[in-house]
Amino acid sequence: MTNREKFWGVICLLVILSAYVIPYTGLSNVEKWYGSFLLWFVVGIVVILINLIITRDWRS
Amino acid sequence: MSNSFVWWGIILYIIASVFIAYLSRSGKEASMSGYFLGNRKMNGFVSALSYSATTYSAFMMVGLAGLTYRGGVGALGFEIIYFAGVTLVAFFGPRFWLVGNKYGYVTPVEMLGDRYSDKMVSVVIAISSCIFLIPYSAVQLAGVGYLVEGMTNGGISFTTGVVIATVLAIAFSFIAGIRSVMWTDSLQALMMILASTAVVLIVIQGLGGFSSFFGTLEQNYPEKLTVPGNGFWSFATFLSMTVPWLFFSLSNPQVSQRLFMPSSMKSLRGMLLGFLGFGLIYTMVSVLWGFSAVIIFPDLENPDVATPYLLSSELVPTVLGVLVMVAIIAAAISTIDSIMLTLASLFARDVYGNLRKGADERRQLAVGKIIMPIIAVMAFAFAELQLDLIAVLSVASSAGLTVTVPAIIGAFFWKKGTAPGVIASVTVAGILVMVLELTGIKPYQLGSGVWGLLVSTVIFVVVSIFTKAPEEKASEFIDYINEELKQELKLKKVK
Repeated sequence: MTNREKFWGVICLLVILSAYVIPYTGLSNVEKWYGSFLLWFVVGIVVILINLIITRDWRS
Repeated sequence: MSNSFVWWGIILYIIASVFIAYLSRSGKEASMSGYFLGNRKMNGFVSALSYSATTYSAFMMVGLAGLTYRGGVGALGFEIIYFAGVTLVAFFGPRFWLVGNKYGYVTPVEMLGDRYSDKMVSVVIAISSCIFLIPYSAVQLAGVGYLVEGMTNGGISFTTGVVIATVLAIAFSFIAGIRSVMWTDSLQALMMILASTAVVLIVIQGLGGFSSFFGTLEQNYPEKLTVPGNGFWSFATFLSMTVPWLFFSLSNPQVSQRLFMPSSMKSLRGMLLGFLGFGLIYTMVSVLWGFSAVIIFPDLENPDVATPYLLSSELVPTVLGVLVMVAIIAAAISTIDSIMLTLASLFARDVYGNLRKGADERRQLAVGKIIMPIIAVMAFAFAELQLDLIAVLSVASSAGLTVTVPAIIGAFFWKKGTAPGVIASVTVAGILVMVLELTGIKPYQLGSGVWGLLVSTVIFVVVSIFTKAPEEKASEFIDYINEELKQELKLKKVK
C-alpha cells in the first residue's frame, strides 16, 4: 500500500465513523432537515470528492 | 392506474430493450472472457451506467423508499454508509484490474483460488456465493411483483410481475452475454435517473415546495428526521444493517467482477466516479420518495408499497408514473441478469471447471448457459415465498457474502493468508450466518453480518497462522501489484 493510499484510507475511515457517530449523538434531537438528513447528504458529497482525488492519476 | 397503461409500458420497454440487446451483439462469443467480461474492453461510461443499474435495483426505488417510510432518515444513513464503502473500489479496483489482466481471471472467485493456490478455495466460495445470491435475486423479482400489483391495485398480480421479470432476465442474458446486459443496463439507468428525478421534483412541488415539504415532516412526523427516531433504527440495527453493506462492493461477485471489465485504468475511474454521481442522486430520490409517501399515505400496512402508491397517485402524471414503473422493472431485471451471469460464470468456471478434468472453455460456456435459467427458476420460487421486507432480505443476503471479505483483503495485503484459512472461515462463518438468519437469533442485538464478519476474520487469521502459506504465489501476486502501482507513481513524478 502506498503512503498516499494510507493517508486517504485514514481520511475515509474518519468520514465513515462520523457518519455513524454524529447522527446518534449530537443530532439525535435535531428534528429538522438540517439535522441528520443534511449531514448524511454532505458525507455523500465528501465521499465523491475523496474519490475524485484518489483516482486523479488513473490513465489509459 | 388502469392495467392497460401498465401493460403498454411493459410492452414498449420489452421492444426497446430487446432491440438494444440485439444491436449490442458483436459476432459469436466463444470464449469465457468474451461472453462474461465483454473481452475486458468496456468503456468508462457504459461501465458506470451498468454498474449503477446492477447495484441499484428494485431494492433502491422500492426497498429504500419503503425503509424510509418505515423508519425515517436512518434509511439515508444506511445507504450513505454503503455509498462510502464504494470507496473500497478506489483501493481494490486497480489491484483487481491489474491481476485480472495479467492472469486472465474471469471471476473474482477464480482469482482467489489462484492466489491461495488451491482450487477448493474457488469451489467453496463459488458455492457460498450461489447460496446467498439466489435470495438476493429473488428480492429483485419480488420488487417487480409488488410494483405492478401496487400500481394496478391488484389488477396485475404479484406472480404475473415476477414471471415477466424472470423471463426477461433470462432473455437478456442469452442474447449476447454481458454485452447485451451492459447495454440494456445503460438504457435503463439513464431512463431511471431522468424519470425518477422528475417525479421527485413534481411531487415535492405538489406538496407545496421544499420548505413546506420539510415543514410538514418537521411538524407532523418529527421522529422521521432523527435516529433512532421511532425506534426502528436502534444503533444495533443500524450497525447490523450497514456492516454487510459497507463491504458490498467487494463481497458481491456480480459487482466485483465488473472490476475486470474496463479497458483501462482511466475507464475504471470513469466507472467509479460515474457510479458515485448517479448513486448519490438515486439515493436522495429514493429517500425523498419515502418521505413523500409518509406525508401522502401515512397509514400503509406494507411499507414496500410506498413507491407504487406514490407513482399511481394523482400528483404524478400517468405517463411519467408508467415510465418510472418500467424503469424500476428494468432495474430489477438488470440486477438479476447480472447476478445470473456472474453465478453462471462462477459455477461453470470455478465449480465445474475445477472439479471436472478436461472441461475446456467451450464446455464451460455451454454449462454456464444451461445453469442460467436454473438459477432464475430457483430465484422465482424463492420470490413467491414473500418472506420479509425487501430491504431486510437484501441485507441478509449481503451478510452471507460478507464472510468472504477477510479472504479478499488478505489476498492483496497479507502474504501469510492460507487456503485452509479461507476455506475454514468462509464455511464456518457462512453456516453461522445461515443459522442466525433462519433462527432469527441476534446475540447482543447484533445481526448476522456483524457476527459473520467477526468470526470469519478470526478464523481466517488463526487458521492461516497455523498452516503453510503459498509463499511463492503470494509474493509474485502482491509484489507485481506493488511494482505496477509504484511505476504509476514514478510516471506521475516524471510528468
